[in-house]
Amino acid sequence: MNDVTTVALVGVGGQGILLAAAILAEAAAAEGLHVKANEVHGMAQRGGSVVSTVRFGEHVWSPVSHHADVVIATELLEGHRGLGLLAPEGTLVCAVTTRIAPSGVLRREEEYPSDLAGTAVARGVRLIAVDAEAVAREAGTLRAINVALLGAASTVLPFSAASWERGLVAAVPSKILEVNQRAFALGRGSVVGKGAPVT
Amino acid sequence: MVDVMERTLFLMGNEAIGYGAVRAGAGFAAAYPGTPSTEILETAAGLEGIHAEWCVNEKVALETAVGASRAGVRTIVSMKHVGLNVAADPLLTLTETGVNAGLVIVSADDPGMNSSQNEQDSRNYAKFAKIPMLEPSDSQEAYDFVAEAFALSEEFDTPVLLRCTTKLSHGRGQVVLRHPVEVAPREYVKDVSKHMMVPQWARLRTRFMIERLQRLRVRAEESPLNVLEPGTIDFGIIASGVVYQYAREAFPNAWFLKLGMSHPLPYRKVAELYERVSRVCVVEELDPFIEEQVRLLGLPVIGKEAIPADGELDQDIVFAALQPYLTSAPPQRRSPVFPPAPRLSDLLAPTTDLPMRPPVLCPGCRHRSVFTALRRQKLAAMGDIGCYMLGADPPLLALDSSLCMGASIGIMAGFNEALGRKAAAAVIGDSTFFHSGITALISASYNEADGLVLILDNRTTAMTGHQGNPGTGLRPDRTQGPAIDLQALCDGIGVRCTTVDAKDYKALSAAIRAEVGTPGLGVLVAQAPCALLTREKSGSVVVDEERCNLCGLCLDIGCPAVAPGEDAVSILEACTGCGLCIEVCKRGALSYAGADSGGAS
Repeated sequence: MNDVTTVALVGVGGQGILLAAAILAEAAAAEGLHVKANEVHGMAQRGGSVVSTVRFGEHVWSPVSHHADVVIATELLEGHRGLGLLAPEGTLVCAVTTRIAPSGVLRREEEYPSDLAGTAVARGVRLIAVDAEAVAREAGTLRAINVALLGAASTVLPFSAASWERGLVAAVPSKILEVNQRAFALGRGSVVGKGAPVT
Repeated sequence: MVDVMERTLFLMGNEAIGYGAVRAGAGFAAAYPGTPSTEILETAAGLEGIHAEWCVNEKVALETAVGASRAGVRTIVSMKHVGLNVAADPLLTLTETGVNAGLVIVSADDPGMNSSQNEQDSRNYAKFAKIPMLEPSDSQEAYDFVAEAFALSEEFDTPVLLRCTTKLSHGRGQVVLRHPVEVAPREYVKDVSKHMMVPQWARLRTRFMIERLQRLRVRAEESPLNVLEPGTIDFGIIASGVVYQYAREAFPNAWFLKLGMSHPLPYRKVAELYERVSRVCVVEELDPFIEEQVRLLGLPVIGKEAIPADGELDQDIVFAALQPYLTSAPPQRRSPVFPPAPRLSDLLAPTTDLPMRPPVLCPGCRHRSVFTALRRQKLAAMGDIGCYMLGADPPLLALDSSLCMGASIGIMAGFNEALGRKAAAAVIGDSTFFHSGITALISASYNEADGLVLILDNRTTAMTGHQGNPGTGLRPDRTQGPAIDLQALCDGIGVRCTTVDAKDYKALSAAIRAEVGTPGLGVLVAQAPCALLTREKSGSVVVDEERCNLCGLCLDIGCPAVAPGEDAVSILEACTGCGLCIEVCKRGALSYAGADSGGAS
């Protein structure tokens, strides 16, 4: 069990969580690792919370885990929620500038949470805050927030650049491959540029 | 009306069930004919105080029964064993929702296949559905147990299975008629947490159902329907249904545990029998249903190694099968081990106080306008399966119910029939309609049901990822087959049908109003393609902040692209420009911007 790494990708239906998970899984496979993934279908395009789990290692038994080493969140509230999935000393990679208010917040019945950084510190987990919207916009499309974050998360995941490239090529439809390759590189650079540690 | 008091009638088991239903205050009976169950509905139809209808199949019969039960009328639905397969879809979710007025399902099994293609044991459905099951053993019990079944149904908020077999159903015996049961009226109360089986509510109802089964087992232990009958020899028999009569005749001196309520099994009553005798046999037709449970208690039992696992039994077969065991060495006495109550999942416990993010109808989904218009009519709205279930959530709150694929129309028909007015509409997507709404619509047409069926035709099977269906003709390999025309289909089955453009809110509202005001059954096909398929942006909406008074009309359409601000609403980036918010605004505060200007944000 110990040699298995779990990554949870969380976000809002329609943000491309499943695509990001597919890229990650392919990259892990390119590393020669055993991979299992699991996701929730059906509501994925209806604006609900979406969680996809990718697990990789020498051998993976269970396809699910509620204790992720890394959580990748494409939206701020889902990032807050994703903290609940993080194992102690895990890392949250979150699109902190992307806020999509759920219906209860829109109706002003509930409050959108604040202070992700403080909550992360209190929980003893590491936060990599990414302005994924800016990165995606720079890459050429706001729709690439998912892959921009994956680029940022690549700094804490033990895959070679070549494996990530193979993951992108394998999972991303060819007509949007280039913009996603750009988003990935810019996302990775946004963290490296800030001097965050690179594994 | 025949005076049914103080009389003894010589009745077939099925007739006794029909009489028993009326005596128990049932006001609604639905069925599809099937030997050996047919006479139940035929008998009920000949009695006063009960409405009886043949439905197009057993699934629709059960769904129609659900509607009548919800409306507050005790309802009995009957079918043969294989019919219960057809009704299994609604049954397996009905057990989650429970009932309002009592709902009793009669399944008539046919051991020996006197008139059937297979020999299945319906008792397995009681276990599968986690519902109580009663098994009468003669015509008098058939008559009496119906009232017991209705009482259990209401007390435990569950459908109840009344299981008979051919020799009970078609056997005849004296029945002493009893005084009618006083039944308190039950109002229909909209309760989505009980009737709208989307995951968030269904998860809670599943827990209710598991706990209910525990309480039912306690009831089975106490129930006078389960009787330990003393004998004079060291031999005990567990039996239910007509098989009890065979065994009793074959072994008049044996001890008996006679099970009238055979599911859930009263473990402690079984153990009690083992305290009295050293040899116990389960006599049952078809599957080792009781035997397996007794073995689970760790108790030695004579079962299917002696009693044939196929065909019908009779007293000769039972005697010949068990006679050798009367003198065999008794097995070593063992203590029963009672199964512990099941644990419930921890995963349901809320882990955060963060705002939930339920899925919502997509921005630009024009079928939202159907809910907006429907809500203004004072109608219950029986929903179905698919995206449109999202119309139940706030702020739309436009649906009352979702049971299973295609159930909306049957539930609506039963509900309206039971209340005697157009009290409910049905809301169903195009693909779900083709799945099994179509049969319910034929049934409703045949039975001259009242109601309004809204078919939300978004030209795809959206929820699962935009697959083709008979309405589009699109096949998995992307080839095009014939597309079935809903309007022509309705014409063909004699149902008034109007097709409206769901993008035209005024026309749609008017059509709904007109249908609600017209007696009888009508269909409105609301057409608008799935917003995720078209992904069209038909303009930008801007807010006149002077005119907006935050009245909330545009917020009530539940569009994720409209949000309240401090002084006025704002239109978010997700807006597709569908324009429904503009149409519902009474102050002219919303409008399309010029062709190339951006929307306010």
